This record gives sequence, C-alpha cells and structure tokens, in this order.
Amino acid sequence: MSRLKLFFGLLFKAAWIRKDRSLTAFVAAAVVATMATTALTVYFDLENKLSREFRSFGANVVVTKQGSLSTDELAKIDSVLGEKSEVVPVAYSIGTLDDGTRVVVGGADLAKLENLNSWWSIKHGLPTPPALVGARLDAKTGGAPFSFKPGSGSKAAMIVRGGDVFTSGADDDSRIYIPLDEFIHETGIEPNTALIRVVGRPVEIQSAIARLSAALPQLEVKPVRQITQAQTAVVDKTGSVVLASSAVIVVLIVLCMAATFANAVFERRRDFAVMKALGASNATVNMMFAAEASLLALAGAAAGFVAGSAIAYWIGRANFNAAILPQPALLLPVMAGSVALALFASAWSLARLQQIQPAGILRGE
Amino acid sequence: MFLRLLYESFRRQKRRKSVALLAIALGMSIATAMIAVASGIGDKISQELRATGANLLVTPIEDTLDVNLGGVDLKPASEGAYIPESDLPKMKGIFWGHNIVGFVPFLSAPVTFTKDHLKVPAELIGTYFDQPLRYGKETFSTGAHSVNRWWQVQGEWPQDYPDWPQGQAPAVLVGSKLAADAKIRIGDIVELSGRRLRVSGILNSGGAEDSALVAPLHIAQELLGRPNAVRRVVVSALTKPEDAFARRDPNKLSPAMRDRWYCSPYANSIAFQIHEALPNVRVEQIRQVEQNQGKILSRVSGMMLLLTLAALLASVLAVSAAMAATILERRQEVGLMKSMGASNAAVASLFLTEASLLALAGGAIGFLAGTALAHRIGQSIFGSSISVHPVVLALILFAALAVTFLGSAGAVRKAMRFDPAVVLRGDA
Repeated sequence: MSRLKLFFGLLFKAAWIRKDRSLTAFVAAAVVATMATTALTVYFDLENKLSREFRSFGANVVVTKQGSLSTDELAKIDSVLGEKSEVVPVAYSIGTLDDGTRVVVGGADLAKLENLNSWWSIKHGLPTPPALVGARLDAKTGGAPFSFKPGSGSKAAMIVRGGDVFTSGADDDSRIYIPLDEFIHETGIEPNTALIRVVGRPVEIQSAIARLSAALPQLEVKPVRQITQAQTAVVDKTGSVVLASSAVIVVLIVLCMAATFANAVFERRRDFAVMKALGASNATVNMMFAAEASLLALAGAAAGFVAGSAIAYWIGRANFNAAILPQPALLLPVMAGSVALALFASAWSLARLQQIQPAGILRGE
Repeated sequence: MFLRLLYESFRRQKRRKSVALLAIALGMSIATAMIAVASGIGDKISQELRATGANLLVTPIEDTLDVNLGGVDLKPASEGAYIPESDLPKMKGIFWGHNIVGFVPFLSAPVTFTKDHLKVPAELIGTYFDQPLRYGKETFSTGAHSVNRWWQVQGEWPQDYPDWPQGQAPAVLVGSKLAADAKIRIGDIVELSGRRLRVSGILNSGGAEDSALVAPLHIAQELLGRPNAVRRVVVSALTKPEDAFARRDPNKLSPAMRDRWYCSPYANSIAFQIHEALPNVRVEQIRQVEQNQGKILSRVSGMMLLLTLAALLASVLAVSAAMAATILERRQEVGLMKSMGASNAAVASLFLTEASLLALAGGAIGFLAGTALAHRIGQSIFGSSISVHPVVLALILFAALAVTFLGSAGAVRKAMRFDPAVVLRGDA
C-alpha cells in the first residue's frame, strides 16, 4: 500500500467511524459558509435591487430649455440615455375655463405620463381617455363635462367628457393634460420640458446627467434632488446595515463554529495519543488532523455556498420580486475562509494536546 | 443527589460547558442583534426617506385652482384663500403630534424687485427657515432647513426674526438661476416695495425656488400686504405604510375600528386629525412621497426580516451542533451512569437540566451582547442607537431553551441507545 493511499485510507476511516463527529464539523463549516454566502450575495446586489425600487418615484431628471425642445434634441436625449430610461416630453400653457378661471394645461403622451407618475391615483373613465383631469379641477367642474381653451391663441374651445381623474396631492391636481399632438395643434406650443426617469444606481444617474449635459450643452439638465438624495441616503444606509449585520452574523457564527470544531479535535485526544505512542511524529499527526479538517471544511463550504446562494435567490424573489443571482466570485473566498477557519480551530486544539504526554492522555488524565 | 451530580458536572467539565455556553451566547446575541436591527430599521430608514420632503399638503378649503407654471406661482396675492399662520402650531396638538417632525408654510406671489436700479421680475416666496414656535408648554423649531433637506445654501441661512431689528436689512435667499441671470452675489442689497433686503445666501434646490427670492415668512407677508397669511403648508410626518385598512373611510367604521384607525399613524389618519384641528383646510397626501416611501420601507424591512430568519436558522444549527457534540462526547459518562442503575429518564433529565441552565445563562449573556451590538450598529450608521424592547429578553430566553433542547434531544436519545458495556469498552 502506497503512503498516499494509506494516508487517504486513514482519513476516510477517521471520518467514517466517528460519523457524528464528522457530521458536526461538516455542519459547522456548512453553516458558516451558508451565512457568509447569503449575506455577501444579498449585499453585493442590494444597490441594484433598491435602486430599482426608486423607479416608482417617477422622473428623477428634468431637462428644460428656454423656447422649445426640437425633435433632434429629443432624439439625442433618447440616444444618449439608451433604452433603460424613459423620456416624456411635456408642453405647458395657461388655458381658461368657461367662467374665465385660469388653468394650467399640459400636453404629453398620456399613457407614458401615467406610467411615469405611477403614484397617481386614477379613476378611469373611457378606455382611451381624451384627457387626464386633476382632482381639484374635477371637483371645481363637479365631475361634469366641461370646455376650456388650452391657450391664449386657441381657435376653439375643447370639450372634455369622461376624462380620467387623477389625484397626486401636488400642483398637478389643478391641471389638465391632453395628448401632445392635439395640444400642439391647438396652441402651437412645442414641448420645452422633458421628464426623464433614469433607472439605475445613484452613480449611474449622475453619469446620465453628466452625459446629457455634455451632449446637449444648450439644455438645462437637473436632477430632482429630493429623490436622488433620498435614493443615495437609503441605498447607502441600508447597504451599511446589511454589511454590519452580515459581519456580526458571520463573525459570531465563525466563533461559535470554531469553538465546536476545536472541541471536536480536542475530544480526539485518545486517537492523538495512540498515534504518538505508535511513533508518529508531531508533523505527521498535525498533517492528519489538518487534512481531515480541511476536507470536511471544503465539503461543508461547497454545500454552504449552494445553500447560501439558494437562500439569497429566495430572499430576492420573496422581497424584490427579482432573483438575487449567485456570485461565483464568492466561491473561492468562502472555500478559503472555511478551510482557514477549520485549520485555525484545529491548530489551537492540537497545540494544547501537544503539551500533554501521550501516556497521560491514555491514562485518562 | 441530583443537584450534586449537576454541580459536579459543571465543576469537572468546565471546558465542555464553556464551549456549549459560548455557542448558545453567540447564537442568541446574533438573534438579539438581528431582531433589534430588523425591527428598528423601519424607523431609521423612514427618517432617511424624510429627505424626499414633506408627505402631507395643507391648503385652504376655499382656495382656487393652483396656477403654477415652470415652478412659478402665477396666482396674484389678491386671488385665492389663505390659512391663518397663527393656527399652524395647533397641528402639534393632534393625537399623532409627536410624529409631525416639521412643517413649512409658504406664501408666494409674482413681484418685481430692483437690483442696481434694474427691475427684475421674480417670484417672492415667504417661508420658515428655522422658526421657533410654541404650542402649549412645548417649544419646537421648524422650517425648510430641517424639512427640505435637499435645499443647498451657499452662504448663510436667513434668520426668522418676527420683527427685524430696526435699521437692519432683512436677510433673504436668492435662487441660483435667478442669481446667475440677475448677477446677484452674496451680500448684495436688493429692494422690494421700498424695503431693502440683504442677500445672505444663494439657494440651490433643483426646483422652482432656484428662480425665486426666498424670504422669511413675516417679511414676505409684510411685503405682499398679507399679515398672518400662508397659502399652503407642507407637513413632514412619520407614518406607517398605507394598507387596505388605512384607505377605509373612518366615518363608516364601527367605533372600535374607528379608534384603531385613528390611533394608527397612517398618513390618512394624521391628515384627518390635522383637519379636525384646522377645520378650514384640506389635507392631502403628497402621493409621490407617501406612496413610494411605503414601498421602499416594506422592501428594506422585508429584506432585513428574511436575513434575520436566515441568521436565526444559522444560530439554531450552530447551537444544536454544539450541544449535540457536547453530549455525544459524554457517551462513557452515560454508560457509567446506566451500569450503576440509572434509568434512561434519570440520565435524560440530568442532561436536559444541564442544558436548561446553560440555555438560560447563554441566553442572558447573548441578549446583553446582542443589545450592545445593535446599539453600536445604530450609532455608527444612523447616529442614533437602536433600542431593544425588553420583551425581546423573554423571547430570547425562550428561544435559547427551545434551541438547546432541540439540539440536545436527538443526541441524548442516541446516547441512551448505546449498550453501557460497549461504551465503557470504548468501542461505541
């Protein structure tokens, strides 16, 4: 029998004969690896997932121009931002109701506007509404059909019957929005504002603003600061909490498991003493214990990585409705960390055992 | 006899007992820290989300439609209705008054001011910057400085003196766009309605205020000839995310359900209470802020809850593994006790009593350590501590007992099955 075969034979026997002890060590390594993988996988994807949630705040960048935005400028905004962003050009004018009351009239793609302002509470009227009417304006007209002139230069009054009524809790509640082409036709006013939703992390939003400002220097590009600032604060603070909690969990579980692992090695003092009594050197015994601990840690870490990735995936599906995908880059640090932990825990026990004479251990001291 | 065995077991097996105690204490400190963080993070993130601004808008019931274009209020001061400024502190007297973290009144109108003999049209906005107020015995400060946290001022924020000292030009802010267009710098003097105003800072808000002159409310009231009047008030309140119950009409609920609705800090119930305190106003949710904050909060809290569950599961496994290992290593002890006539029940009760004592001690130590950890996390990230409710101690002690029993039970049962003779020979 070759030396190597004998070595592996001993390793296998040691693990097989004391299955419960091996299982405890395996579980120890697996639990550490599972928690480390779960926490780190969630942490690395957290910024993306939370930033996605901030989409619902609507436009986070507003582009305006003195005069009106040309078709070329709007096309360039689209091309600079790419498909991930939504751009809604809006034109405004001061219209008048029949009784002479002034009202702000907006022209926009109504479906896109509704989608952008997803927090609006909308009471739907007709399947294809001719207008979006603010709740305060609707209250003023008593919910009945009404007519208005969309601009000072309007040729004829427009009549609204059965428009969708929306509540925003802001100035928009006093406004009426009509389709952009009709607005331009009636008032001759082109859009001078583009409401933009850039989907991404805070740095990606800043980068989009910088690209837009560079590509279209004649336009005023502004972040909606209360949204971008809140996004940055919430993403940063939540990331820090997850990282701090993960660190606490991993460090405490490591300590807990290191104690268990060290105890498992210490409980094998009779094996240690027998090996030494049969003439094994300290180096051989150390190597035997280290190899056994490393193999168990590797197996536990592999199982833990799979379990941790599955838990992180589940957290993503359950909480963000989007999976948090496994991070293969974590596999190596998790495996290395587990082996290091196992070796550290075993080394501590072995160092203590080596201070005792084998005869003393065999006598039960 | 039983107590003596118990005492000797702890005295003679200090290492084993220390390992088990350490495992339980560490597992329970994870549980305490994670429960505290998961239950406290909602409030902390809610505070961070206040950066999105106020979540309630208060306007006079009799007001006409807003005519606000490009962020400029085109409604003249003579048009529309107003809220008496002197009524505003009453908002702090509502049931959820302590949840109102601040409010900012606004009074605005288009004006033309003079700068170096040049006439500049702009919007004048009057507001509180950091106004000290009193309601009953309570004094508090509120204003744009604390509520509109995204406002950036280069220079100094103006003071909200109710009466500006004689001979001193009141300080105002000038919006960054207006300052650039009209070439206004910090320290310049502008004149409006015969009153000299000193520019103490340049305001960059990213909104309509960038094109406006922003003055202390009392100065704007004086300049616009509207003493004690405000056009609208934005209120920043700590609220609970809206659910189906929050959307119910309180007037259609039974008295018990109405009390529950009234005593829940929903935006709707706080709005209802403000309306009770100020009957001539309309209070609405600023839906962009209120609705979306709820979503973000539920995502963050949900994620922490799931992470906490995973951590608790890990703690259970860690403690169980440690307990199982500790008991299985004591096979010989079990064999000896059984060969001397001890029944399975007697041996099991000794092991489980030991486990209970370890669980209670470990749980208590873990609770203290976990509380300290949660406190540290809160301080280092949010600048305020995360407190742990005393009821968590009972929960943790119960969890420690349950986990320790769970971890010990299987191992004890297995240890009982060994033949004492085989165990004592060292063959098991």
